[in-house]
Amino acid sequence: MAMATSEIVTMQDGSSIVVLDEALLRLEGITKLFAGRSALSDVSFSVTGNEYISLLGPSGSGKTTLLRAIAGFETPDSGRIFFEGSDVTRKPAHRRGIGFVFQNFALFPHLSVFDNVAFGLRNRAEPFPEDVVLSRVKETIDLVGLKGLERRGVHQISGGQKQRVALARTLVTKPKLVLLDEPLGALDANLRQRMRTELRRIREALDIPFLHVTGSETEALSMGDRLIVLDAGRIGQYGKPDEVYASPATANVARFLNRYNVFAGTIENDGFTTKYGRFDYGTRTPASERAYAIRYDRLSVTPSGGAAPAKLAASYVASEYLGSAMVHFFETADGKVVEVEHHLSFGPPEAFEPGRSYDLSWNPQDGIAFG
Amino acid sequence: MTLVTSTSAEVDVGAPASNERGSLSAYVLLAPAVIWMTLFLVVPMAMIIYVSFWTQTTFKIEPRLTLDSWQTFFSSDAYLSSLWTTLRIWLIVLVTTFVVGYPTAIYVGLFVRNKTLQTSLLVLCVIPFWTSFLIRVLAWRPMLGKEGAINIILMKAGIITQPIEALLFTDLSVVIGMTQIYVVFMVGPIAFMLGRIDPNILEAARDLGADFWRILRKIIFPLSLPGVVVGAIFVSVMVLGEFATSAALSGRKVNLLGNIIVTQVGSLKWALASVVGVILTAIMALVIAGLLRVVDLKKEL
Amino acid sequence: MESRVLKPILAIYVALFLLFLYGPFIVLGILSFQQGPEGGPQFPIVEWSTFWYQHILGLAPPSRVSPLPIGISLFRSMTLAFMTMVTSTVLGVMAAQAFRKNFRGKTTAFYLIVLGMIVPGVLVGLGSALVATTTGIERHWWSTAFATHVVYTLPFAFLVMLAIFNRFDSTVEEASWSLGVSPSRTFRKVTFPLIFPGVLSAMLFAFTLSYDEFSRTLFSSGREQTLPLAIYSTFSVEIHPNIFAFGVLTTLFSFALLTVYAVLMMLSVRRARRVAIQEAI
Repeated sequence: MAMATSEIVTMQDGSSIVVLDEALLRLEGITKLFAGRSALSDVSFSVTGNEYISLLGPSGSGKTTLLRAIAGFETPDSGRIFFEGSDVTRKPAHRRGIGFVFQNFALFPHLSVFDNVAFGLRNRAEPFPEDVVLSRVKETIDLVGLKGLERRGVHQISGGQKQRVALARTLVTKPKLVLLDEPLGALDANLRQRMRTELRRIREALDIPFLHVTGSETEALSMGDRLIVLDAGRIGQYGKPDEVYASPATANVARFLNRYNVFAGTIENDGFTTKYGRFDYGTRTPASERAYAIRYDRLSVTPSGGAAPAKLAASYVASEYLGSAMVHFFETADGKVVEVEHHLSFGPPEAFEPGRSYDLSWNPQDGIAFG
Repeated sequence: MTLVTSTSAEVDVGAPASNERGSLSAYVLLAPAVIWMTLFLVVPMAMIIYVSFWTQTTFKIEPRLTLDSWQTFFSSDAYLSSLWTTLRIWLIVLVTTFVVGYPTAIYVGLFVRNKTLQTSLLVLCVIPFWTSFLIRVLAWRPMLGKEGAINIILMKAGIITQPIEALLFTDLSVVIGMTQIYVVFMVGPIAFMLGRIDPNILEAARDLGADFWRILRKIIFPLSLPGVVVGAIFVSVMVLGEFATSAALSGRKVNLLGNIIVTQVGSLKWALASVVGVILTAIMALVIAGLLRVVDLKKEL
Repeated sequence: MESRVLKPILAIYVALFLLFLYGPFIVLGILSFQQGPEGGPQFPIVEWSTFWYQHILGLAPPSRVSPLPIGISLFRSMTLAFMTMVTSTVLGVMAAQAFRKNFRGKTTAFYLIVLGMIVPGVLVGLGSALVATTTGIERHWWSTAFATHVVYTLPFAFLVMLAIFNRFDSTVEEASWSLGVSPSRTFRKVTFPLIFPGVLSAMLFAFTLSYDEFSRTLFSSGREQTLPLAIYSTFSVEIHPNIFAFGVLTTLFSFALLTVYAVLMMLSVRRARRVAIQEAI
């Protein structure tokens, strides 16, 4: 029987009370090495309530390794994993009760859609009676929107439908936690957009936490109630999307969000010095890497030569139309690309002359200095 | 206020995570195969070495250690000549299977681009093996004899006027027979390696002005080398262990080490048979070790 | 490449090459229709007849040519091949499954198993005959010969399964575990159905190798002979075209066997990939 973990808190008067820890999933100091390289270094976090949690990171950041370690497909070299209060670090995958949706779907090719979904219920250690299986499978198939496809073979359905089969197969076993490894990666952009809403809807209907790994920052920001940013095997930041977006904890997190221009330099008490000038800043965030970050949408483009509290010179390259916004690409004299985002609700976009030099200016209060 | 976190949680030590620390289950799965090979391969081989030093009386054999059988072998001209014959035939057949098989491998591996056609051709090469080895060997006699098929065809075609006598019951007949049976083991691995050559490389070489022979020497042959080595190992092992083909096609004239083992066992001369067995094993080990030095197979495969 | 010139030349060469490979079979095919019972196993064909086929099947009138000692030896060969096939495939699949993990001694085990196909039959046969003689174990086709047959065929089954597992995507197994299905059940319900075509190949390989196996069996089968041994024993006696008729028949049998195998393969591959058998819901 699993017992909840507890903290013994010693009060000022010397008495102790036991505080029950409610974390559903807790990782402590997880480290994993692959061929000498550390894929995960000292990762610790916990998941409490029922939330949609996005795990964001570039490729090589260790996010899939982390997910597989939680599922039990990899054993960490050090550290512990607690699930529902008990230590599952050494527990084999099939006894953890954690669902997993694979990037390549991993559907059983020799079984029909129905049999794929029913597989877990029929083949576990204590299989369910067939009538229960039938009703639960039917229910889940309806939930994910696969009605009518039960008898199809897995090669006769589309990518989006395969995705739903993979989801249904896991959900029908009523796991307490579902891990999703880039579930939308193999789908085209249109389908991805629709599936994002679907996944959130399904999660809310079942009220269990989802831990969703993605390399796309838009996906992570739009889907998660909370966001974990993984940077080279370590946790860069863990918080609500708007918090992470507005106040990234490190320069790398700012980079992964794909919303910030990041410059190297040195920090002093009265400003941050970069190659392009010395700038004031509004927020100072302690971090090991020193950098200055300013969000794309906080920059304004002005003709060269004007005065501004914070500005740098760059020449215009090109623009990209994103539907509700335009992104303008500029290049500094030494080749660094600076992006400026202009939300179209503020007015029509300006036309710039390619190759011509402009000043990019901003309110220094919007600048974040790391260091 | 001090916070002491203690976990009174239950630590579930079940079976280790199924894909990593499962060494125990791996050993269990592997055990039957390893035990079988040890009992029925390693032990018999060790016996051969051991028995080669036993004392042989006319019909019995005793575990008293002696070098008698070894002396018998090395002091007999007949036995020594069979050693040279074995080596000679091995080398010749190795060369002939290579020479005969390589062009076929080039055709199947390089020129035939259609995968189905490639597989069909290779299957075609394998079909002859469905006829029992012994029967195929027997069929050579009416082919190579004085009134055999080859002589009849050649005479009818007017190429020769007298039947060629040397086709049967000579070294040549043994070489022809063995080449025919073992050449496929050369063609297979070489065609496999050639099939893995990126045609763009050959295209690029041709665009740079190289003619076919240069491409063959500098690109095709080196890339096919692992296949050649594998084929050479297969052929060598089979030829060195041969005795049936030479028995059937040479009328006892060509005596290979394999033949000696068979006859000695037939006369219950276990010790001498074991001596020959050890020599044969040593030769094979040297050949294989030598061939494996030509190419680092692990890397190439 | 000067493929315009080279390709046709090589094509002709390959045609000649195939002729070279099939030569003996063609010859023995022709000679199997030799006149009997006086006709001998050489050219020229005195008279075309199916006498020898009838002789094999026991339908010919009695003559001074004794029938081939098949029958019981055929039965022994088939049984032995079947036993070898089952044993070496089971051991080979288990060993290949073990090789999916990393463990100490992996390379040694690999070479130990592959050694079985490298060592020539003469040596293995000699060794097992020695062991049998010195330990007093009697040699039989179903014990000592069986053991050496498996030694020979196990490496082939093992390598085939290694290749199959190499291309096997293990995420379906992980998916099964994540659903709460134990590893052993996962093997039965997921892994095995998907590797079955490979298992069939291994089985066929093992059966074929054992059925025609001769040099190892020569030393280890004791007094009751398998089919190749029975044929070998006729070498020293006069040979007749009935042996060629027999060769043609067995080749056709092998062909039939392989067709059955191909059909089974296609069926199981189809099952593993396309429409699942419709279940009654």
